[in-house]
Amino acid sequence: MPWHISSGKTGFNGKEEKMGPLAPNLIISENTNFLLAFFIGIAFGWVLESSGFSSSRKLAGVFYGYDTVVLKVFFTGAVTAMIGLLFMSLFGWIDLSLVYVNPTFLTSAIVGGVIMGAGFIMGGFCPGTSVCGAAIGKIDAMVFVVGIFLGIYGFAFSYPWWEKMYMAKYLGEPKVSTKLGISDGLFGLLLILVAIGMFIVAEWAEKKFPREEY
Amino acid sequence: MKPLKLLALIIIPLGIIIAAVPADRVKHFRLTPDELLQEAGAGMQFISPDVVADMLVQKDPSLRLIDVRTPEEFDAYSMPNAINIPLSNLLADEYTDILNQHTYVNVFYSNGSVYANQAWMITRQLGYDNNFVLEGGLNYWFGNILSPEAPSVTSPDEEFAKYDFRKSAAAALGGGGVVSTEAEAPAIKAVKPPVTARAKKKPAGGC
Repeated sequence: MPWHISSGKTGFNGKEEKMGPLAPNLIISENTNFLLAFFIGIAFGWVLESSGFSSSRKLAGVFYGYDTVVLKVFFTGAVTAMIGLLFMSLFGWIDLSLVYVNPTFLTSAIVGGVIMGAGFIMGGFCPGTSVCGAAIGKIDAMVFVVGIFLGIYGFAFSYPWWEKMYMAKYLGEPKVSTKLGISDGLFGLLLILVAIGMFIVAEWAEKKFPREEY
Repeated sequence: MKPLKLLALIIIPLGIIIAAVPADRVKHFRLTPDELLQEAGAGMQFISPDVVADMLVQKDPSLRLIDVRTPEEFDAYSMPNAINIPLSNLLADEYTDILNQHTYVNVFYSNGSVYANQAWMITRQLGYDNNFVLEGGLNYWFGNILSPEAPSVTSPDEEFAKYDFRKSAAAALGGGGVVSTEAEAPAIKAVKPPVTARAKKKPAGGC
């Protein structure tokens, strides 16, 4: 998509360079992309299940402090992806301005976040883990998935009512580092330090609020 | 505590390295003539009217239409939600934030595409991204998007799909070209069925 909003990070290189991302630069076809996504998806689901993410008690543990594996996994995932992307960009392997970033609509992000959080606390799953739980036969997870689809259809059919709010406060694809006026790398280092701090707090919480069986 | 220490030992040095590397090492402020020629030659500045029509119908908030014609022409007719930056005032300070940004897809348009192309070339040379040119300009927009012509029966299926899309887009965008002659009629948002007879009312001028 030539009209994709560029962050202006790498500027215009002019030459045809073989660099990622693979699909937008047509290094691999869309079909290959889907095939890769299929295998990555299976691997993701398998890792999710085997790390215990299909248990809503484990997921809820992060709110009570007895099990913080959710926090650790998601922070590790974010930090790993961030370090990988920054280094690949440094080596000229990937053009970060072509990496798809969900555009920010501030109002719907806040409203959606509240709804998603309430659903997480009430149901004990987030959308991804509910599918994981349903796949190993958990009935509460199946009910949760049905609820997700009801929500999706409900939103789709009543879209004209929400459209204004849904589209409100469009911010493009802002980055925290740009807002703070620091380089991406420095923000990366700060996020890594925050992550380590969170892990220390999490391990302390697990010792402080232990629970035998869940 | 063991795995945490190991993790910290790996990721903190990596973070320090990435923070110490100067960013934007390859950023070009200006394009060389070669690069500009290459971009213009590849038609990279053009955005197809069908894409713009689709974004308008979807009410895509990232789309920002910029009319580079004179204010008089802009008042006579403008595309939905377009803003007016006359080409002669393109470099005025008040427009810098609009043209040099990373939030919206700016689409320049004029009657043809010459003025819009000039605007693109100037902003591109200033190192701005995210500015594009409506391919074919308003003339093509009126003649083909707002009042599409039915393809002949022997046309390939894609032509029919395109025609169907344009017909429905025209209906949603107040097709047929609502050129206001009376002062009281802004008539930009009006949803009217396509009226092919009005297609001859193209905006005056052109390139």
